[in-house]
Amino acid sequence: MAATALTINGLEVSFGSVKAVNNVTMTIAEGELRVLLGANGAGKTTLMDLISGRTHSTSGHIHLHDTEITNWQEHRIARAGIGRKFQIPSVFRELTVRQNFEVASCRNPSVFANLGFGFSRHALARIEEVLAIVDLRDKADVTAAYLSHGQTQWLELGLLMLQDPKVILLDEPTAGMTAAETRKTATIINSMRGRHTLLVVEHDMAFVREIAERITVLHLGEVLAEGDIASIETDQAVRRAYLGSRSIS
Amino acid sequence: MASRQRYDFLLYGIFVAAILVAPLMLDEFWLNRIAKYLVFGMLGVAVALSWGYAGILNLGQGLFFGAGAYMLAMSLKLASPTSLQQGSDKPVPDFMLWNAEPGALTQLCCINKGSFIWLPFQSQWFGVAMGIVLPVAIATITGMIVFRNRISGVFVSIITLALVLLIRLLVIDAQPLTNGFNGLTDLAWLTIGAFQFDPYSRATYYLVAIALSLVLVGARLLVSTRAGLILQATRDDETRARYLGLDVPSYQIFFFVVSAAICGFAGMLYVMVSEFASPTFMDLSFSITMVVWAAVGGRSSILGACVGAILINMIEAKVSETKALVEVWKAVVGLIFVLVVLYLPRGLGGFAHDLLDRWRARNAEVVPDEGLVVAESRDAVAERG
Repeated sequence: MAATALTINGLEVSFGSVKAVNNVTMTIAEGELRVLLGANGAGKTTLMDLISGRTHSTSGHIHLHDTEITNWQEHRIARAGIGRKFQIPSVFRELTVRQNFEVASCRNPSVFANLGFGFSRHALARIEEVLAIVDLRDKADVTAAYLSHGQTQWLELGLLMLQDPKVILLDEPTAGMTAAETRKTATIINSMRGRHTLLVVEHDMAFVREIAERITVLHLGEVLAEGDIASIETDQAVRRAYLGSRSIS
Repeated sequence: MASRQRYDFLLYGIFVAAILVAPLMLDEFWLNRIAKYLVFGMLGVAVALSWGYAGILNLGQGLFFGAGAYMLAMSLKLASPTSLQQGSDKPVPDFMLWNAEPGALTQLCCINKGSFIWLPFQSQWFGVAMGIVLPVAIATITGMIVFRNRISGVFVSIITLALVLLIRLLVIDAQPLTNGFNGLTDLAWLTIGAFQFDPYSRATYYLVAIALSLVLVGARLLVSTRAGLILQATRDDETRARYLGLDVPSYQIFFFVVSAAICGFAGMLYVMVSEFASPTFMDLSFSITMVVWAAVGGRSSILGACVGAILINMIEAKVSETKALVEVWKAVVGLIFVLVVLYLPRGLGGFAHDLLDRWRARNAEVVPDEGLVVAESRDAVAERG
């Protein structure tokens, strides 16, 4: 068994009287690709908000390797090694694709350290590599605002690759994509495997089958089931929870 | 990108050369006038930096301009002959004496309750230093409070607007110390060594022109550093920048302070050229006027905003002095603003960039585009596969 990358222990948060995330405990091994499933309102995005520091938890702990990062500020969590892709793609729209990548390659967060010009040869080579992986090489000098929806999503994935965090949270990376774009996204995500530990929220079951190893199912803020794709699809509790809505496959 | 930067610096070179040769064609009166407009051009640079590059619409730039102006003006007031003719062997500003209570000691230390703060301004260089230090200090404190608390957008504008009006009120209210509405007048000339900067001389013009050139090129270099790039990223999407591990407020504060320092510097130059400092520098209308200059010139271009400020002021001067337009000159200037906003939303700077891009695209068409061919063949392969 590999070392654990991310440990979540008894995590809870409530908004008013609603417990959006209730006593969630899970561990993700280093290099694992974990998929989070669940209906709308199951608490998937809230869980990501808690991990990345956007929302503060009311109780529970989050550890990145051996460091407790519960309720830190976002940029400190990011620097500790957690990257996040948003449901609605979030990139620097008035900068070119290459400039977006250059921003993500700035290792030193301080203003004064960045008062110099240019980037190291190593950083520039890595930018070229990532441009090739996300297939935006011929768009490198295009302003991000002019990219298609799919390309914007890939640009954001590229930002994460350059940020190079240990753990990457992906919130619905294929939302709004065509079938061809979804396939390409699966290729990109598969290429990130091994380098990073990934936690992915996704609805598209075809896509989930293509990438998933282990799946955690959330329901009403609680962990309902955990296992590989075959065991989840036959799990009685999961079937019951989804009854009335569409079957998950 | 690299070639675009080359064109950019070529344009900067042309601008600097133009303002350096301009005195050959100007008489004393216009020399002084243009020097003032160059100071306004520097304010355009400051606005472009904070509004265009940081996305912070500061409606209180006049506060930093005023702070710089008053600091130098206090020193120059004490150096003025009028301050030495008030019956004391040490300088005392004339307005303090006019307002002094009967029997008060005619000394700077104690002629009224707060007059002692004028004491260090007997040194001209203290005033010069404070002209930068005070705006920087105010901007640092304001910036820390505003940006650490993640206040953004229109709320920053409202806070800075309220702040400049508040300080303006305090300055007017502290009449015994600041001469209130009247401001500081009858100032001495700035003296370096034995040389005095006569506001109507070429020397003063060149001091302003060289200062502007340095600020202009400095600001342009600053935004092309990594920090400048990150700043633009925080403007586009603060959240994304934060999740990449960047400490967004520290970038905002840094550039807010740089912009304030430029305004303070401009304030000092303006005092040298115009020989007065007045609370009108902190009027709301002046701060908004600066924003209009930058909008017309192009807020996303530092040179554009600078040229915009200078051009508008020259046009205003010309139009308001044309006999036929004396009654309607404000309408003419207003019409120019409306036309620019309607047809050139990115201002003159944006228009120039578009022209440049189009011209380069036309030149590039002659050469077959290799990138396109490669992309097409790759698509063809992908289709077969």
